Amino acid sequence: MDFTFTEEQTLLRDSVVRALQRDYSFEARQSIVRSGTGWSPDVWARLVELGLTALPFPEDVGGLGGSVVDVVAVAEVFGEHLLVEPYDASIVLAGGVLAAVGRKDELERIASGEAIGALAHEEGRGTPDPSLVTTKAERSADGYALTGEKRLVLHGADADVLVVSARLDAGLALFLVDASAPVATRFTTVDGRRAAHLRFDGAPGTLLAADAEPLLRGVLDRAIVVLAAEAVGAMGGLLRRTAEYASTREQFGVPIGSFQTVAHRLADMKIAYVAARSTLLHTTALAEAGRLAPQDVAVLKAQVGRLGRRVGESAIQTHGGVGMTDELPIGHLHKRVLAVDAMFGGTDHHLRRLGAPRSPAATG
Amino acid sequence: MDIAPDADLEKFRAEVAEFLDTAPTPEIREAGRRTTSVFGPFDQVMAWHRILHARGWSAPDWPVEHGGPGWSVEQRYVFADEYQKRGLPPLLPNGLRMIGPLLMELGTPEQQARYLPGILSGEDYWTQGYSEPGAGSDLASLSTMAVPDGDDYVLNGSKIWTTYAHHANRMFMLVRTSREGKKQQGITFLLLDRMDLPGLEVRPIIGLDGAPEQCEVFFTDVRVPQADRVGAENDGWSVAKQLLKHERGGSAHSPMLRRRLEVARAAAAETPSGFGGTLADDPVFQRDLGELEAEVASYEHFEKLAISGHPIARDPAYPSLNKVMSSELTQRISVLMTRVVGLDGLPDQREALLVGSDAEPLGGDLALIAMPYYLNSRATTIYAGTNEVQRDLIARTLRS
Repeated sequence: MDFTFTEEQTLLRDSVVRALQRDYSFEARQSIVRSGTGWSPDVWARLVELGLTALPFPEDVGGLGGSVVDVVAVAEVFGEHLLVEPYDASIVLAGGVLAAVGRKDELERIASGEAIGALAHEEGRGTPDPSLVTTKAERSADGYALTGEKRLVLHGADADVLVVSARLDAGLALFLVDASAPVATRFTTVDGRRAAHLRFDGAPGTLLAADAEPLLRGVLDRAIVVLAAEAVGAMGGLLRRTAEYASTREQFGVPIGSFQTVAHRLADMKIAYVAARSTLLHTTALAEAGRLAPQDVAVLKAQVGRLGRRVGESAIQTHGGVGMTDELPIGHLHKRVLAVDAMFGGTDHHLRRLGAPRSPAATG
Repeated sequence: MDIAPDADLEKFRAEVAEFLDTAPTPEIREAGRRTTSVFGPFDQVMAWHRILHARGWSAPDWPVEHGGPGWSVEQRYVFADEYQKRGLPPLLPNGLRMIGPLLMELGTPEQQARYLPGILSGEDYWTQGYSEPGAGSDLASLSTMAVPDGDDYVLNGSKIWTTYAHHANRMFMLVRTSREGKKQQGITFLLLDRMDLPGLEVRPIIGLDGAPEQCEVFFTDVRVPQADRVGAENDGWSVAKQLLKHERGGSAHSPMLRRRLEVARAAAAETPSGFGGTLADDPVFQRDLGELEAEVASYEHFEKLAISGHPIARDPAYPSLNKVMSSELTQRISVLMTRVVGLDGLPDQREALLVGSDAEPLGGDLALIAMPYYLNSRATTIYAGTNEVQRDLIARTLRS
């Protein structure tokens, strides 16, 4: 058993830390969020330069053949820096599907960072389970027509390559849809990402894969690992900043961290962080070995959701009044954790999956 | 990262399973079903210790030169996993996980040669003499005195929360040898090679669960050879801190927590929810069970990271993190167990709980152990340094 990053992974991670420390201070990030596009093509170009957009893809499409561990190693850093560029949408989600179905042309453009991809899958509270997708695909004269509404599609309105999940006959299928076809309701999420609800009214689609539920589950499981890494990175940032603040902020003539109530809250934050990070690293190792079971994903998603919330709320409380302001990263880190919790099934969903009677096939 | 499955490991698993299926006597199995504490029924646990020793498997975590089996991290986990799946009683930790590893680090060659074999074999049981009526969380204020006299120390005072002292034939303890300077600086670590010394008296204490697990030990002019000191005189505090790392640090504890949860899960499928169906189908129960499943998993991951050498174990807060996580999970699981048994947990069954008892148990196995286990586990956040003290230690490592 080995749960450490290799030397190469550590070097890559360090280079991302250096780049983001230089170009992605909290203030710089906030002006990017407020900008017209909501994310920075310059920062994106920097990620391309570092090889990050090509990282998880096979070499024949210009990728670096990296593993999920490589992506997790950098995603923790993304989380701590509250990255809003379309890495999850384009590389992890849309890229994940395109790699699994072997669409070289689109993949090359995504790996090079030249095109942005998005995956339109979630439809609201029902979709943690892909078998409950209601968007429908019907055969048309020249292919397929998709009808339905997708909610919270990360970068759904600025994507060049749009992948959509929809019901086809009795199964779930994946389609490529012209990105301008759906009616988009654009918004910025609480954690600063651009996203959209997309409505499809008979939008023409190209079939990528039929009976794609296992394929999609695999992509979503790996995406959950990466999102969890971002949340754990954010938790690390919350813990570090709160420990610093409690050591320097004085009230009643002493640092507030010297009060036992505050000290114990810090200790609980550390316990939560260590538990979540242990599960992240263990689950990442399982994913790399191809041994990820549905329960493992549920444990990770639930732990990051509940422990992350606890760490974030404790960080705000410890910071007191300033913890309530938009000027400090604290609230933004907390909102990143909350956003990760809400995506692809929240804490309660995954906890009930774990506590439900096991089907005979799942025990082992 | 590497967590690849391994065919040799599966062969090892089969070998372990075969032994664990055949070696324990019926009394040892029964003791496992009636274990409601870290400390299972004494006679059967020690008998099982000696059987495991004969196979060379009593101390999975020990180095080979002291009699450990030389297993990899993975093998130790497989062993713990198979062991717990069968509900076998855990071996007592005082020797194997506390004084044994301490003597390997800080004992003289004579002390190692004299004491380690009996710890390994299960011939000896060591009780721990740390706390005193006036020294609990503030352990350094202990006042049991040891005054040098010739080649001996002469001891006067008392110790409390000495687990199974009434079964022990040996004891390791902290005594005061000086009242000069800081209170930590006048403490000495001693070994008692027998418990039937003149002037030494053991009185069991009945716990909340009705069992005489803890004891008080009184010392009146008890003579102990100075050669049985570990470390230098007045340097016992640093020796004790070293030992606490072993006490708070883990080996493979998560398989036991998982086993307890599995027992509760299985019983829930047979238990009415009060709303018509079974508890296993109740969404509230499912969520609570799921939360504990997730927490046990995270603790297992933390444990695996630590024993496989991940830097997480080099965190100065590691022993305290481990202690808080494992003790609080133990308590939460014990609460779930009492929720599952409900009313069936109320009969006081301390007689039926004894191995070989004639008393007929009321309810199933879980009904027999849930309440005493719950009550006993209230101690987990108190012993080995209360969780309040552990949180202080964790917070100290965070302060800049």
